[in-house]
Amino acid sequence: MAARVEQLPYGIGRFSIRLYLLLAALLVIVGWGIFAYSRQFVEGLVVTGLRDIGTMGGATWGLYISFDVYFVGVSFAGITMAALIRLFHLEHLRPVSRMAEALTVVALILAAFSVLPDLGQPLRGIVNLFRYARPQSPFFGTFTLVISGYLFASLVYLYLDGRRDAALLAQQPGPLRGFYRLWAAGYRDTPAERARHERVSFWLAIAIVPLLVTAHSTLGFVFGIQAGRPGWFSTLQAPGFVVMAGVSGIGLLLVIAAVMRAVLAEREQLHEGIFRWLGTLLLLLILTYLYFMVVELLTTTYAGHHHEVRISLSLLTGEFAWLFWGAVAALVLAVIVLLLPFLPPGLRARVPATSPRWALVFGVAALVPASLVALQGLNLLTLFSTGAQRLLAWLAVALALLCFLLLLPYLSRNVVAAGATAGILVNVAAIGKRLLIVVPSQTHGTLLPYAEGSYTPTWVEVSIVVGLFALGALLYILFFKVFPVMEVHAAEEGAQ
Amino acid sequence: MARYAMVIDLDRCTGCRACMQACKVENNTPMANFWMYVFRFEEGEYPDTHVWFMPRPCMHCDNAPCAKVCPVGARYKRADGLVATDWDRCIGCRYCEVACPYGVNYFNWKKPSKNYYLDWQDEDVVQVTGGAVPPYRNPDLDAPYGEERRRTAGGGRLKGVIEKCTFCVQRVERGLQPACVENCPLFALHFGDLDDPNSTVSQLLRRKPSFRLLEELGTEPRVYYVGGHPPSTESRQIEEVKARV
Repeated sequence: MAARVEQLPYGIGRFSIRLYLLLAALLVIVGWGIFAYSRQFVEGLVVTGLRDIGTMGGATWGLYISFDVYFVGVSFAGITMAALIRLFHLEHLRPVSRMAEALTVVALILAAFSVLPDLGQPLRGIVNLFRYARPQSPFFGTFTLVISGYLFASLVYLYLDGRRDAALLAQQPGPLRGFYRLWAAGYRDTPAERARHERVSFWLAIAIVPLLVTAHSTLGFVFGIQAGRPGWFSTLQAPGFVVMAGVSGIGLLLVIAAVMRAVLAEREQLHEGIFRWLGTLLLLLILTYLYFMVVELLTTTYAGHHHEVRISLSLLTGEFAWLFWGAVAALVLAVIVLLLPFLPPGLRARVPATSPRWALVFGVAALVPASLVALQGLNLLTLFSTGAQRLLAWLAVALALLCFLLLLPYLSRNVVAAGATAGILVNVAAIGKRLLIVVPSQTHGTLLPYAEGSYTPTWVEVSIVVGLFALGALLYILFFKVFPVMEVHAAEEGAQ
Repeated sequence: MARYAMVIDLDRCTGCRACMQACKVENNTPMANFWMYVFRFEEGEYPDTHVWFMPRPCMHCDNAPCAKVCPVGARYKRADGLVATDWDRCIGCRYCEVACPYGVNYFNWKKPSKNYYLDWQDEDVVQVTGGAVPPYRNPDLDAPYGEERRRTAGGGRLKGVIEKCTFCVQRVERGLQPACVENCPLFALHFGDLDDPNSTVSQLLRRKPSFRLLEELGTEPRVYYVGGHPPSTESRQIEEVKARV
């Protein structure tokens, strides 16, 4: 029996010690997040760093909303891949399609979970949002189109897409057989059934494409149609959200695909062509986003009201400059990495072959001062003076840049590593940009002359967000331990 | 149906902040929540400086951005012009707060009973007070108000909901003036019905030129200012209240 289970493809049902350790660690982090939330549930949102806009000089939306926006953005990946594969017949991308769909579902679950801690009355929220739903509120779109419609459509798509594999896997005896039978639900993979499935998923893909644009736009409208918040009120907000969603979603998909390629025995199916194709798509999306960003900043700083100018200056040279320029730098570095495959072959041949080892050493070395600075920034650890903290921050930047430069020759030869690096960079940038959209307009964007505000997240908020990431990883890993991450080939089945 | 409005005479205001005090006493608002707030401004360079004061209640806008965005209809515009908050329905998402250009919304960050300037249940406090708690629950505030019979009066009812200036709905419905108006020692604040040509507010608006705050946003506030000018980039706030929960 055990020997037969091992025959299931893609490591399904196989749990190594290392995997158990990873799962245990993730569970501990999730538990810590739940504990942090219990503190907030009992004490109220006073345990967060959020405060009222105006006389209290705070931001009333912070990490929770930023990460809600981020998670919804990441969910862009699945539907895009489905649409690209079905509508444009990009069959060579098929191996990442299920990874992408699962990413969508998990990201949307996390998005729903990150709204919940933001509510002062979460239990009421679950009831009242449906009972007294008002379509006039931009939140209505978030809850109907994104959380319900988008999530439901993605689940249906994932289910239909996996039905054939479930039917194939159900032919083998094993502890999961009942689960596969349930999933297959009578599907037998006859040519007629297969054709019908193709048709259904084609039309479903077509139906989901408008959802892709509208759902990500509604989230942009949550901010973009608030005339009373400088920095938010902009026509470009909704399209900007759609593009940034694409950047973070495709970026995270690249990272996940690279990890899968590293851990799966069937790594050859995740061929380099996938990474090259996704990398180019990501490159185009980043360039579009950078263009949007420049257009918006130019408009607001050149022609905007002095309140708009104040927000722009707080980003460009003020309190948030480190985050803004950090995010921009991450995007530009990602562009450089993604441009590497376009190097002329003659030039590429002259790039010395180096090992990434030293780069990684510098990367880890950069993380040490960076995390110290971050801990001090969050008031969790106060070890240094402001000057020393600034010095440490610059040290981290220098080490990170050194790491990047040393990594470049390696990345120019390894398209998978290049994709993963770009993916990590753009996701860091995406999180930064989300925070920059949400926070400065509240602390620096009051139209009446209130004093400038400030916002520093507390350990509760950070713990809940980290716990959400751990929950996502947990769900993702567990799902692909019971269901194949890529399509099971009929030929493979026949051989067994 | 009346069309309620407030008129604030900036020529008369001396910045004594008695209105802020009256509001707190009437509405039992928790610490650091100022439903009525008085800006104290300074303009110009020494020695040519000019100091002036601007009370800021909720503007009770006709085109209220906060009521538009509320996902559950807890914030709504009443037929008589009051913008009300139903704290029985509010889910605490604080969308109204980010939508409001005037910064008048206050959230109950913690259990209000722990936020009335002292934690009255705290052991050290009980030693001094002998367990006595000031009457922080005005019984008028529990009743439902308006045609809709919704619980919209008063502050500090519940943790995790939004509250703001109600124009003292519990007083207005009894034919009284809001607490801030009633307690202004210099008659700088006026409240009344715009449809009644003989009301003080109508007369004042006929007699003096007026402005409303951030009129360019199209929010159509129901609070009018006479005898002064709107704050500009020149207006520096002095003595801001730095209270944070």
